[in-house]
Amino acid sequence: MIAASLNSAFGRAGLLLMLAASIVGGLSIVFGIWQNDRRLLRQAPRYAWLALAGSVLAAVMMQRALITRDFSLAYVQQVGSADTPVLYNFAAMWSALEGSILLWGLTLAGFTAAVAWRFRRRSNDELVAWALFVMFVVTAFFAMLSFGPADAFAAGAPNVFEGPGPNPLLQNHILVLFHPPILYLGYVGFTVPFAFAIAALITGRLGEGWLAETRRWALFSWSFLSIGILLGGWWSYEVLGWSGVWAWDPVENASLLPWLTGTAYIHSVLVQERRGMLRVWNLSLLISTFALTILGTFLTRSGVINSVHAFGDGPVGSWLLGAFVVIMIVSLGLIFWRGDRLRSPGSIDSPISREGAFLANNVLFTVFAFIVLLGTVFPLLVEALQDRRTVVGAPYFDRLTMPIGIVMLFLMAIAPVLPWRKASQELLSTRLFWPGWCGVGAIVFSVLVGADGWAPIIAFGLGGFAAGAALRQIVLATRRQGWRGFVGRANGGMVVHLGVILIAVALAASNSFTHSATLELRDGDVVEWGGHTFALESVTVDINAAESERALKANVLLDGEQVYRPAITTYLNQGITVGTPSVRTGLAKDVYLTLEPGAEPGGDVAVIRVFIKPMILWLWIGGLIMAVGTLLAAFPGQRQRKAVDPVSAPVGGSGPPDDDAVDESAAGTKDSTDGRPRVEVGARSTRTGEGSGEL
Amino acid sequence: MTDLEVEGAESSVRAPERPSTAKWIAAAVAVVTVGLIALFVVADPNDPDPTRPSNLINRPAPEAVGEFGDGTPFDLARRKGSFVVLNFFQSDCVPCIREHPDLIEFVDQQAQLGVDGAELYSMVTGDTKSRVEKFFEERGGDWPAVYSDGDSISVAFGVALVPETWIIDPDGIVRARFQNVVTAEQLSVTIQQIREAIR
Amino acid sequence: MSGRSALNRRVKSWPGWVLMVVIAIAFVVVGSTRSSGPQTPEDRVDEITQRIACPVCDGESVFESQNNSSRSIRNRVEQLVRDNELEDQEIVDEIVNAFGGDLLLVPKASGLDALVWLLPAMGLVIGVSGLAVAFRRWRLEAAGTAEATAADRALVEAALADDPDEP
Repeated sequence: MIAASLNSAFGRAGLLLMLAASIVGGLSIVFGIWQNDRRLLRQAPRYAWLALAGSVLAAVMMQRALITRDFSLAYVQQVGSADTPVLYNFAAMWSALEGSILLWGLTLAGFTAAVAWRFRRRSNDELVAWALFVMFVVTAFFAMLSFGPADAFAAGAPNVFEGPGPNPLLQNHILVLFHPPILYLGYVGFTVPFAFAIAALITGRLGEGWLAETRRWALFSWSFLSIGILLGGWWSYEVLGWSGVWAWDPVENASLLPWLTGTAYIHSVLVQERRGMLRVWNLSLLISTFALTILGTFLTRSGVINSVHAFGDGPVGSWLLGAFVVIMIVSLGLIFWRGDRLRSPGSIDSPISREGAFLANNVLFTVFAFIVLLGTVFPLLVEALQDRRTVVGAPYFDRLTMPIGIVMLFLMAIAPVLPWRKASQELLSTRLFWPGWCGVGAIVFSVLVGADGWAPIIAFGLGGFAAGAALRQIVLATRRQGWRGFVGRANGGMVVHLGVILIAVALAASNSFTHSATLELRDGDVVEWGGHTFALESVTVDINAAESERALKANVLLDGEQVYRPAITTYLNQGITVGTPSVRTGLAKDVYLTLEPGAEPGGDVAVIRVFIKPMILWLWIGGLIMAVGTLLAAFPGQRQRKAVDPVSAPVGGSGPPDDDAVDESAAGTKDSTDGRPRVEVGARSTRTGEGSGEL
Repeated sequence: MTDLEVEGAESSVRAPERPSTAKWIAAAVAVVTVGLIALFVVADPNDPDPTRPSNLINRPAPEAVGEFGDGTPFDLARRKGSFVVLNFFQSDCVPCIREHPDLIEFVDQQAQLGVDGAELYSMVTGDTKSRVEKFFEERGGDWPAVYSDGDSISVAFGVALVPETWIIDPDGIVRARFQNVVTAEQLSVTIQQIREAIR
Repeated sequence: MSGRSALNRRVKSWPGWVLMVVIAIAFVVVGSTRSSGPQTPEDRVDEITQRIACPVCDGESVFESQNNSSRSIRNRVEQLVRDNELEDQEIVDEIVNAFGGDLLLVPKASGLDALVWLLPAMGLVIGVSGLAVAFRRWRLEAAGTAEATAADRALVEAALADDPDEP
C-alpha cells in the first residue's frame, strides 16, 4: 500500500505542479505586459519547464502504477491486468479516458516548453508573450481536467487485485503503441499556431510575422496528424477484421476535421505570405482547426455520439464543451474587435492563377469539413428535433466526398504549374502537356489491366495528371538546383502531393475493386476462388500462457505456398470475442482472410471470408512519402535567407518570406506587391542556362 | 462553426471593400455556433447502461430453434405459457462463472413458485458440448443447456457479448434484457414487475 | 536551342492536346462501358450490407461489424441475394423494416433527413458563388485603379517574356 499511495501522491503532485506552473506562468505574463515589466516576461519560460516537469512526473507515476500493477488506483483497475504484455501495458496509459487526457497534457506541456525554448531570446516580445500565455491557459485547462473531472489518480475500490486489462482490441497490435501518441502530437501541435494567431489578434500585429514564425510548427503538426490518421487506418485494417481502413466513424471523423482545415490552412497561408491577403481567412482556419480538435475530443469523450471507439462519458464532456465555447467566444470577439485591422491590401487578378487555385482548394476543403461535421452531428440534430435514432454512415460520406476528392485531384494537377497572379492559355497548354500525357498514360494503363467503371478510371487519370504536374516541378527544380530541388516548401510540397496522390489512387482502387467471398473449407479439399487456392490444414486452439486469451485458428494454405492463420480470439476476462484477420500483403493486391465462427478445434471444416483488395500497400507507402515530403518541405529551401523580422511586420506592408521563390512560376512574381526586388538572380541565371522548358 | 469556414472565405475576400463584412460574418458564425452548442447541451449522453434497449423489447421473440445436450429439439415458440429466461453464456468467460451461483439461486427460487415459476435455459454461445457439460458438473446447476446450429439463437437475439440474459413472457413477447452479469434478485424482481404490468 | 524549343512548342500546341483528349476519352469510354462480367453475389452482399447499420453496436455497418447479430443479418442478406428475387433496395427495406427502422446508413432524401443532403449542396453553392463575387469585385477594383495595374501588367509581361517556359 505504500507503493500505491506513492504513485497516487506523486502523480497528483505532478499534476498540481503542472497546473500551478501554468497558472502562475500565465498570470506573470499578463502582469508583465500590464506593468510593462520585462523581467516578469523573461521569467515565463521557467514556468513552462516547471509545467513540463510536472506533467512528466505525472506520466511517469502513471507508468509506474501500471508497471507495478498498483490496483489501488481506479485507472489501473480499469485498464491494468497482470496478464497484459509489457508493451501493451505501457500503451494502457492511453487506452481509456483519464490516461489519454494525461497523455494529451504531457504533449501539450512539451509543446509549451518547446515554444518557450524556441523563443527564449524573445520572451519579452509581446507577441511571443501572449502566445505563451495562450499555451499556458490551454495547458492549465488540461492539467485541471486531469486533476479534477478526469482524475487519473483517483483511488479505486478497495481490495481489488486484478483488472481486465485494456480493451482487447488495444492489445493485439503494435500500432496501438504509435497511433495515439503520434495523433496527439498532431492534434496538440496545432495549439502553437493557434496561440500565435490569438496573440497576433491581441497585439494587433496582424502582418505576416507570426505566420512566418509558426509555419514549421503548423507543418510539423499537420504531418503528425496525417501520419496518425493513416496509422489509425492501418490499425483498423490489421485488427478489426472487416478489411477496411476507414469507416467514417465519429472518432475517425473527429481526427479528420482538424486535418481538413489544417490542410486548407497550409495552402492558403502561402497566399498570405506571398500576397499579404486572406488574413481573416487564415486566422479563421487556424482557430477552426484548434476548435475542431477540442470539439472532436468533446464528441468522442462525452458520450453524446455513439461510436465503437468512443471513450465513455462523464463530467469531462461538459468541460470540453465549455472550452469549445470559450475558444469560440474569445476568437470571434477578437476577430470582431480587430475586424478593421484585418483588411488586407491587394486583390487577386485572375481565378486562373496560383492564388485562384488555392482559393478553390480552400472552398473544397471547407465544404469537405462541413460535410464531415454535418454527417457526424446530424444524428444529434434528428434526436433533438424528432426524438428518433438515425445513423449517418459510410455510404453518405462516400457519396458526397468522392466528387470533392476528384475535383481536388484535378486542382492538384493544375495548381503546381500555375504562376502567381495570372496565367495565359498558352502557358497552361505548354506546362500541362506532359502532365496531361501522364494522366492519359494512367487511364490507358488502368484500362489495360482491367479497371472498369468511369469513376475509378477518371480518378486514376487525374491521379496520373496530378502526379505528372508534381514530378514536372521536381524535375525542373532538380535540374536547376541539384539535390536542393527536393527541399524547400514548394518542392517538398510536391513530394507530399505525390504521397497524397498515391493514397487517393490506392483508395479509389481498393474501394472500387475489392471482391469478397465466403468459402467453406474442408480438410483435404482445395478451393479455388479469385485466382487463388485455399486449403484447410487444420483448426487449432491456442491458449496464451496467462490463460487470458483463447485463439481459435484456421490454418489455411494459400496458393499452396504459405499458411495463413485467421483466428477468432476470445478474451476470457472480458468475455469479448474478436476476429483477428490474417493478411497476405502484396504490391498489387492483398489477400485478407478472416475466420467465421462455427469451426471446431481439431475439426476438419472451417468457414473463412476472403477479401481481395488491390493496392492497399500503397496507402502506407503514400503515407511514408508524405512524411518524407514534409521533412523535405520543412528543410530550408535554396540557401539560407535572412529571416523576415517576424515581429516587426506592420499591419499594412508585408515582406513575404519566399523560400519557395525557386518555384519556376516565380517568374510571374517579380512584380510582387511589396515592390522589393527579389534576390533570385542565381536561380534565374542557372535556369536560363539550362533551358528547361521542355517539360 | 462550419459556416465560419464557408462564409469566412467571403469575409476575407470581401474585406478590402467592406470593412464591416468580417464583423457580420463573425456574428453569423456566432449564431450558428450557439445553435451547435445548444444541440450538444440538449443531447443526452448515451449512458452505457447494461440494459440498453434492444429492438426486440416488447416484440415477439425471434425464431429460436436448437437442441438440448441429449439431442432432443428445443423451440422457443413451444415454451409459451410460462416465463422463459434465456442465459447466453460461454463456459470459460469469467463473468459467466461469476454469475453462475446467482443463476442456481434463481432457479431454486422459481422452483418454489411451482407452475408459475420461470424456466431458465442456458444458451451456449461459441462453446462445445463437452466443455459445457464439464462446467455444469463442476459448478452445479441442473437446468438445460441449448445448442444451436452456428449459434443461430444468439444471432437472432443480437447477443454480442456474453453473458447476456433475456426474459420472455408467457405470450412469447421479449420483455427484458440484461447485458453482463445478472443477479438472482434482479431476475426475480423484474419477472415479478412484468407479471404485474401485463396482468 | 531555338530549334528545339520551336519543335517543343509545335508538339505542345493543339494537335497534341486533341490527340491526348481523344485517347483519354476513348479509353474512359471503353473502360466504363465494357462488361466486366456480372456482379458476383458476394459483391452484391457486401454492397447491400454496407448500407445497413449493425443493430447492437454503435455506428458500424453490418459489413464492418463482426458481432453475431450483424452476422445474422449478413446471412439473411446472403439468402435473399441467393434467392435473387428482390432488388438491392428491396432487400435493404426488408431488413430495415424487420428491425423497426433506424438501421439505414444512407439518410433518406425526405423530411428532416433531407437537410443532410441539402446543406452541403448549399455550402458548396455559397462557397463557389462567394468566390465568384469576390473575383468580380477584384476585377472591378483593378479596373478602377488602372494606373497601378497597367504597371503591374507591364511587369508581368516582362517577367513572362523572361521565362524560358514561355518561349
